[in-house]
Amino acid sequence: MDFYDLHLHSEFSEGESSVEDFARRAKTLGFRGICFAVYHKDRKQVDRLKKRATEVSKKTGIDIFIGLEATTLEELKKLINIRKNYDLLLVGGTNLELNRKVVQTKEVDILAHPEYNRKDSGLNHVMAKLAAKNQVAIEINFREILLSSKNTRSHIMHHIQKNVKLCKKYKTPIIISSGAVSHWQMKDPKILISMGCLLGLELNQSKKALSKTPENMIRMIKERRDKRWIRPGVKVVE
Amino acid sequence: MKKLKIVAPTLREKNRYIAFQVISERGEEFTYSDLESAIWNTMLDFLGEEGVSKTSVWLLKDSWNQKKQTGILRCNHKSVQDIVASLGLIDRLGDNRISFKILKISGTIKSIKSSTSKNG
Repeated sequence: MDFYDLHLHSEFSEGESSVEDFARRAKTLGFRGICFAVYHKDRKQVDRLKKRATEVSKKTGIDIFIGLEATTLEELKKLINIRKNYDLLLVGGTNLELNRKVVQTKEVDILAHPEYNRKDSGLNHVMAKLAAKNQVAIEINFREILLSSKNTRSHIMHHIQKNVKLCKKYKTPIIISSGAVSHWQMKDPKILISMGCLLGLELNQSKKALSKTPENMIRMIKERRDKRWIRPGVKVVE
Repeated sequence: MKKLKIVAPTLREKNRYIAFQVISERGEEFTYSDLESAIWNTMLDFLGEEGVSKTSVWLLKDSWNQKKQTGILRCNHKSVQDIVASLGLIDRLGDNRISFKILKISGTIKSIKSSTSKNG
């Protein structure tokens, strides 16, 4: 089974480790591919990351994808317009309005940590249903649990459990990622699967969140790279 | 001291053995006791005293290989996920940043030892 970690931050965004360090660690831990999230503030930075990722991917044999992360509605609109230029579109959930917009948008691949910095889980049954319809995956971010402790950790885990319950009910895709900003925060796939199980997923669902769901997204990336692709559900037929 | 009578196989607890490797920033700088206390403290923090009591967890001292930095943990078959997830929450031993690689999870110590010796 091939495993993928689709939310990492290298030195090109908020992270502290190099692309090479991440790729080497991914290979040691048994990942098939990884995705670096980067904020769309400096286009040159994104181009530099793309170039570096291609070099490192050839060297290490790890599939490396580039994901752009939006944190506001304005950023999301901009990124949708240039959707063909990068692999994945992640949106870091913070406010409810943004979360709602994200689950309605077919172009978005991942709604990252919808419960982040909130007193609720950031996702309700209507949004879970919409996310399932538009194939927007809800992320379980391991870093959130790793960096918190005591009552904060228990609150975060409680909110994630609520989201998992909704996602299971409405068959919304879920992905588990380490959300690492350093290659030392990358976790073994078995550890991520176990955490998924503790958060309410069945073992096979947890494995799927780390392999089959990311594979579906990667298949979509390949389709999007096709010249005939225009937008989700629309392509030129000869 | 007189030993307890051996329990019938149907009443015995089913064990699972988890072989792991510690990848550390500064090589072999930490000792077994550092690791042992980090594992226990994290598990007690994360699962609580009552939670840990249900896991029957034990770190096998004889199986620790300081050179390869590999070791074996034993727990019951129902709490493998709890133990593996707890290991993921250990990211430091003092100033030394570490990360765990799970090598194998097995039902017998014989098979886990043979597989770790092959990999090593």
